This record gives sequence, C-alpha cells and structure tokens, in this order.
Amino acid sequence: MAEKHKPAPMVDEVSDFEILEMAVRELAIEKGLFSAEDHRIWTEYVHSLSPAPAARLVAKAWLDPEFKKLAVTDGIKASLEVGVDWINDPPTGFGTPSDYCHLRVLEDTPKLKHVVVCTLCSCYPRPILGQSPEWYRTPNYRRRLVRWPREVLAEFGLVLPDDVEIRVADSNQKTRYMVLPVRPEGTEGWTEDQLAEIVTRDCMIGVAVPKPGVTTNIPKPVHPALRPVQHDH
Amino acid sequence: MADEDTMTGEHGAVTVEENVAPIPLLEEIRERGRVWEELCEEYGVDNPDPPWKINLEGTYIALDLCRAFPWLERRNAEDVVTEARYADLPAPERQVMALAHSMIQRGLVSERDLQRKMKELEERLNRV
Amino acid sequence: MSKPQYDRTHHAKKATGIGDPQCFKGEAGPPKFKEGDKVRVRNRSDVFYTRCQVYTRGAVGEITKVCYESPAPEDEAWDNTENPVWFYSVVFRQQELWPEYPFPGDTLETEFTEDWLEPA
Repeated sequence: MAEKHKPAPMVDEVSDFEILEMAVRELAIEKGLFSAEDHRIWTEYVHSLSPAPAARLVAKAWLDPEFKKLAVTDGIKASLEVGVDWINDPPTGFGTPSDYCHLRVLEDTPKLKHVVVCTLCSCYPRPILGQSPEWYRTPNYRRRLVRWPREVLAEFGLVLPDDVEIRVADSNQKTRYMVLPVRPEGTEGWTEDQLAEIVTRDCMIGVAVPKPGVTTNIPKPVHPALRPVQHDH
Repeated sequence: MADEDTMTGEHGAVTVEENVAPIPLLEEIRERGRVWEELCEEYGVDNPDPPWKINLEGTYIALDLCRAFPWLERRNAEDVVTEARYADLPAPERQVMALAHSMIQRGLVSERDLQRKMKELEERLNRV
Repeated sequence: MSKPQYDRTHHAKKATGIGDPQCFKGEAGPPKFKEGDKVRVRNRSDVFYTRCQVYTRGAVGEITKVCYESPAPEDEAWDNTENPVWFYSVVFRQQELWPEYPFPGDTLETEFTEDWLEPA
C-alpha cells in the first residue's frame, strides 16, 4: 500500500503581528512615504542575501594565499570573486543606507582573534553575510562585547587562552567587517565546498571558530549572561 | 567613563525624546496576538522566522531612503522603545511593535488609521 | 542650522555605479595621519549628533588604516555632504579603555573622522 505523502506543515493562521506589519507598510504607502514597488524591490534584494558567499570567500582565502591577500586589502574587490557586488547589486547602485560599500576582512591568526559588533546600531555586512542574527542586534550583546569580550565569547562556548589577543571591531562608521578565521586542523586536502561548509555565520562574526563536522550556528548563547545588562528604568 | 555606557544612543542620533507611554492599540495587540514561536509549536512548523519578518527589512530601508525615518534614528528609537515596552516579546514581534510605536509617536501613522487598516486587512484576509 | 532639502537625486547621480563612500574619493585633501601614528581621541564638547563612542573619549591608540573619505556623520545627518573628511581606523589596548580590564593583550579597533583625533 503506497504511503500517503504528508504535506509539509504550514502555519495556517495570520497573526495580529503579521497584520500589524502589513498595516504599517500599507499606511506608509498610502501616505506616499514610499511606493509598494520600492518596498518590493528592497525586500527582494534583502531576501536574496545569505552567508554563503562569505563562507566561500573564507574557503577561497584558505586555499589561495594570493586571494587571501586581496581579501584583506580590498574586501569589495574580493567580494566580486564570490559573486557579490556591494555597489551594483543593491537597487540604489551605491549601497544600502546601512551597508555602504566598504568591507574589511579581518584576518585571524593563531595569536589574534577578531570579533565584530556595532555598538551604535548593529550594522552588519549583509551583502555578503545575509541577515544578522537577533542576538547580534540586542543591547545585551552590543553593550557587553566591547567591555567584556571574553565573557561574552565564553557564553557562546568560545574560550581562548590569555596569550591570544582578542580584538573587538566596532563598526561605528561606513566600514563593515567580517572575520576570516584560522583554518582548522583536520581539513587537509579538503575542497572549497567542504571548507565553506564549516565556515558558519557565527565564525564570520567571530563568536565561533570553524570545526570539522560543525556546519550550523548555535541558535542563541547557551549560557546565561554572567553580567546581564541592568535595566534600571 | 561610565562603565556600562558602551552604547551611545543618546549621543549617536539626533536627540529625540522617545515617548514610551503605552499605546492602547498596541497593548491590545500584545494581549491577543499570537507570536510566531507559539504558532510554530501548534502547527508543527520548523521555521525560525515568520514570513513577514523580511518585509520589515524592506520597510526600514524604504523609510530611510525617503527620509521619513532615517536609519540610526529608527534604530535608536527601536532600542529605547523595545527596552521600555516590548522586551518581553520575542524578536520579530517586538521589532514590529517598536516600529509601529515609534511611527505613531512621530506622527508618521496614526493609531486610528492603524486600527482602521488592521480591520480592513482582517476582512481582506478572511480572518474570523 | 537650517536643514537643507535632502537632495537624493544629487547623491544618486554622484554615487550610482561608484559606491558610497567611493564617490567621495579625492575630496578631502591630504590625510593628516598615517598608519602607525599614535593618536588621542579628543574630548569635544558634546555635539548634537556623533558616531564617536563615549567609551573612546580621551583614549590613546594607534592608526591601523587610513580608510576612506566621506562626509562626517555629524554633517551627513543633516544632509551636508559638501566637506568630506578622512576616516581612520584606530586600535586601542582594552586596558586603555576600561578600568581594571584584566587581559593586557586584548584590543579594540574602531573608526574616527580626522576631527576627532589629535596627535598623542
């Protein structure tokens, strides 16, 4: 007897929050703040972004020292080689209001670990890395990473020896950062695809390091904050 | 140097006093609204994000480009309003609430229009 | 200071296909600082709008990169894009930024416009 193929589950309900989003948007369009077409174009652009090109940039850099040099000196040019055009892909033709067109790829070494934050507003290199995770946008991360980086990294399960320099990069202006982590042991002879698979989004923010066999991000920090932000208002 | 004062929201934007007083319509939505996490559990769906979340990103860009609500000002408002009023909601829900809240407070949309529009949408989507 | 009418078409004409901040290249004149220079973050009286983090004020660091030219955020917020300035990346020891930071090797890197820096 043929097994009935179950359709994939779907949320068959429109929530008040979904309606709210639609309502805000349609009112803005009605008022002439922006057009439905512009909104659609921008949403489609943002929806097209993912961390895959950045992972490939890292994998290429690991395999090709010349490309690594390019990545570190000219992030925009290096992005083109993984199919990302910071200037011409966005509908404006000159970048988005938050992403701009100045990528710096920060190269880790065994003695130098980078980790990225934007204390002001959670800026992120979206054209090459996709949407930022929710935890990256929270005041909890933004306030604490610059001040207590080792504690915050430990909450992500990353503990580094004292003699490794941790460098926090705070993207407060037009530069957007991504981390080029150290290539881990156990990846000798791997192809670009195999290498890219273990370079997760979290590795390129800097809160994780690539490991053979680990291809997913942690959904959110697993340990409660040692020193959570005080809400005193 | 203040020890915990590492975000410069108060310095980093055109200074606007955020009005964080509760807005009745939004408080109503908070009461009756079902968050995505809840819906996923009920319907057995695995998606971390609701399908409407990406629309917010388009709205943020559009609001900046038309100058109605520039990026950093909107982000600061989102931070302040979220911490004051909507921190208990999960991520996409608190974002849309904070956006609606700060847009109402700035007169970009009115609470009354929002209420009208939501009713209209509920009917259009045949929601009981 | 009256707010000029935002001229989107002007910026779009200038920047389309070129990029932002690329479109401001060559407009700031020679940079005052170079890589390796020791600089101090000035404690300017609070401007109405800035992207210079409070936690860096008064700190001494080293220029790691002369990055790009662009209008300063203080100007760009008011849509004044006539006077681009140089932006620099500066690295600080964390012990310079925070009281009782326990790890002497750790650092923090962030960007400043020329106006916010003075030789140290």
